[in-house]
Amino acid sequence: MSTVDLSQFHKTFFEESLEGLDAMEAALLALDSGQTEPELVHTIFRAAHSIKGGAATFGFADVAAFTHVAESLLEEVRSERRGVDEKLIDLLLHAVDCLRAMLARSRRGQPVADADSEALRAELVRLVGGEAAPPAPAAAPNAASVAGWDIRFTALPHLLQSGNDPLRLFRELQQLGRLEVLRAVVVDAAPAQLAELDPSQCFLGWELRLHGAVARADIDAVFDWLDGDCELAIEPVADVTPAALVAAPPLPVAPLVAAPAPKVDPGPRRIRASAAASADGGSIRVSVDKVDALINMMGELVITQSMLSDIGEHFDQSQLERLREGLVQLERNTRELQESVMRIRMLPIASVFNRFPRLVRDLEHKLGKQVRLELHGEHTELDKTVLEKIGDPLVHLVRNAIDHGLETPTQRRAAGKPETGTLRLEAYHEGGNIVVQISDDGAGLNHAAITAKAVQCGLIRPEQELDDAEVAALIFQPGFSTAAQATDLSGRGVGMDVVRRNVRDLGGSIGVRSQSGKGSVFTIALPLTLAIIDGLVTAVGEERYIVPLISIVESLRLRPDMVRKIAGGGEVFHFRDAYLPIMRLHRAFGCAGAVTDIERGIVVVLEEEGRRVGLLVDDLLGQQQAVVKSLEAHYQRVEGISGATILSDGAVALIVDVGGVVRLGQQRSEAA
Amino acid sequence: MARILAVDDSASMRGMVAFTLRGAGHEVTEAENGQLALDAARGSVFDLVLADVNMPVMDGIAMVRALRTQDAYKGVPILMLTTESHTEKKMEGKAAGATGWLVKPFDPEQLLATVKRVLG
Amino acid sequence: MGGTRTAKKPGAEPPAGAPSPAPASADATMLVRLPADCRLAAQAALKAQLQEVLQPGGIVLDVAQLERIDTAALQLLLLFRRELERQGGTLGWCGENAVLREAASLLGLEQLLNLPAATLA
Repeated sequence: MSTVDLSQFHKTFFEESLEGLDAMEAALLALDSGQTEPELVHTIFRAAHSIKGGAATFGFADVAAFTHVAESLLEEVRSERRGVDEKLIDLLLHAVDCLRAMLARSRRGQPVADADSEALRAELVRLVGGEAAPPAPAAAPNAASVAGWDIRFTALPHLLQSGNDPLRLFRELQQLGRLEVLRAVVVDAAPAQLAELDPSQCFLGWELRLHGAVARADIDAVFDWLDGDCELAIEPVADVTPAALVAAPPLPVAPLVAAPAPKVDPGPRRIRASAAASADGGSIRVSVDKVDALINMMGELVITQSMLSDIGEHFDQSQLERLREGLVQLERNTRELQESVMRIRMLPIASVFNRFPRLVRDLEHKLGKQVRLELHGEHTELDKTVLEKIGDPLVHLVRNAIDHGLETPTQRRAAGKPETGTLRLEAYHEGGNIVVQISDDGAGLNHAAITAKAVQCGLIRPEQELDDAEVAALIFQPGFSTAAQATDLSGRGVGMDVVRRNVRDLGGSIGVRSQSGKGSVFTIALPLTLAIIDGLVTAVGEERYIVPLISIVESLRLRPDMVRKIAGGGEVFHFRDAYLPIMRLHRAFGCAGAVTDIERGIVVVLEEEGRRVGLLVDDLLGQQQAVVKSLEAHYQRVEGISGATILSDGAVALIVDVGGVVRLGQQRSEAA
Repeated sequence: MARILAVDDSASMRGMVAFTLRGAGHEVTEAENGQLALDAARGSVFDLVLADVNMPVMDGIAMVRALRTQDAYKGVPILMLTTESHTEKKMEGKAAGATGWLVKPFDPEQLLATVKRVLG
Repeated sequence: MGGTRTAKKPGAEPPAGAPSPAPASADATMLVRLPADCRLAAQAALKAQLQEVLQPGGIVLDVAQLERIDTAALQLLLLFRRELERQGGTLGWCGENAVLREAASLLGLEQLLNLPAATLA
């Protein structure tokens, strides 16, 4: 038999254990919020139980030992010998954190237990009343052996119904030594009439003699599954003739029992770090529905393909209409297939939202605030990459909302509000975007503090009067933080500017609305996917630029009277009661042969976070979906450009980074 | 070689059991919980069932009880994969009709030895 | 208890080496063929079949096809024989079968089943 390399199951073990811990945490929080379904406790117990079993099986002894104690405690809860209170939930949540850290260290091949885990384990041990008995080592084989054993074995009627069969037992005994049936009987309880016999009931009994120096424990092991299924008496053979001894030499017997024999080598198991790391390339779980949709789509594509090749084979002018139809169908198939493929990368935002109940609970305790968390739209799906990167910004916003936004119960009472504040996270589709909103009913942005800080930073002049929108815009300025005292929550030098940058890196935007005394609403708009955008192809000289459709407000040809030149060389134009700066794309990127006369080109009005700018291009060529290729990966980062794509004629076009262009435009108009 | 049904909600444990048994030449069907195991068992009769105790949807004990009501599964050995801390679970499993148990943690060699013991 | 260890009777010896089952012969000896799989799941049907042939005459069990057997099957045959003899019938065997022999021998049931002594062929 080949030995099995258990390390191949480590990755699965880590993944399912982390999932188990997530489930455990969610159930603990549900218990904490007063829910009492027994299934919650079962879920928690099951998670701990599985982790323990897996950890022990795959050689993570520290994890197994830790989980073992936690499980003992949970068993007391499950069997209702211990009640659930807040202290217990705190402790178990701590255990969840601890196990996550231990698993992470196991995964990296680092020492698993640390001071935190050991202290917590000690506390758990104390709670369950002393160290839970470690698995008993297998009983040592009886040293004192005898010449043989007499075994009286009478089946109880239900013995066969458990799938046990005396035949199997006798075969096992035969492996231990020579087995002699002294007597086999049908017990009196057997039905006299065949008609009354239930074949699955057993009415047989035996007197057996097992010859040889067999350890009693080995015989017990043969019968260990039959406790309660038979009458059993095992006694050393009273009178053994020397001949019998000679006749029955003990057979070398392979160990038959899967007793949990303590492993000889408790040394740390080597973990193949490199293999684990490369295997971490990232997998994705896809629901069968999505795969089925893909296969359906593929089927249709094949039909279209065969139709087109059929036309191609005997083509003449009369079939032009059919060819056109075929191409339309191909386009539809391709689009649907693309959507289906993209959908494979889409995962529900619930995986991010699910972190928040725990975070909110911890913050409540830390800050002495009362928060009701509402989650909406958890099933809204986002591209996997976006999903992975949106977590940190959201955590930051939630922290901010509780730390700075929501007031203490006393303050709230004084303000005539309910003591418990509400924090609401919501995700939904809007146009081609996913919108995530974080709203609270707290104090709103602190107008005075923000203004004072902005003056201090030199961002505004002291006498400047700012409206709500302008104040809100200030908090996204680099290095801007108003935290009165640097709490360990929000004051880690990570400001809203970093949040905004993270969101922008994802191709999204962030804005805030706030009302003093009523609360704040942060709104993040994210693209459905990073890989494909709907764009407007524009011509600038010899070049093609793609402008994301989502940022376009309007395109128009300017009349000379709409344009104003301003001192310093800047240009603005009148648009819906406002003057917008004009960005000449050919000038920004140095394109030769472009239209320089504003009246002969076209101005595309772009909007980003409430700010608008007019982009001057030569002409509009049409809409096209563009598969975004990273410029950074192939060349280098270029300000104002978010990537490149390949057009249908094979030419390369650059994709305009609207945020960057708007910023450039703003700087120019401000500099002017 | 035998046809074996391996039931465990833990993908790593199930994977280990299935891989080990397949390596020994057995034909293994996997199921994630008791309910899915029952579905699999309805379609064909296995020579041996190995089942975890704690599973969502339908646990191992309920699964054994349900299997034993089927004529085809009256004498089929069913082993519970259980942990040493749950002696009462062993008894509960037996009462439901389990043949025996394999104590977790076990390694592939112990698994094969126990399967051999049951299948003869 | 028991008391079933009756003296061995020659019983209805099957025609030596008869390869195929003979049809029920004139002197009311009936041949019952055991299926390949005689284990628990098959025993309800087997029991019904045996009940049907319970009669004062001779019953010969053809074991040529038998491949799988368990303790419950031997018990069923044992209790069948007991009732058959009580009604004045006899049980005989047709064909040698290693699976049956090994199981009956291991459980010490050869005599109770009236299996002919193992031929040392």
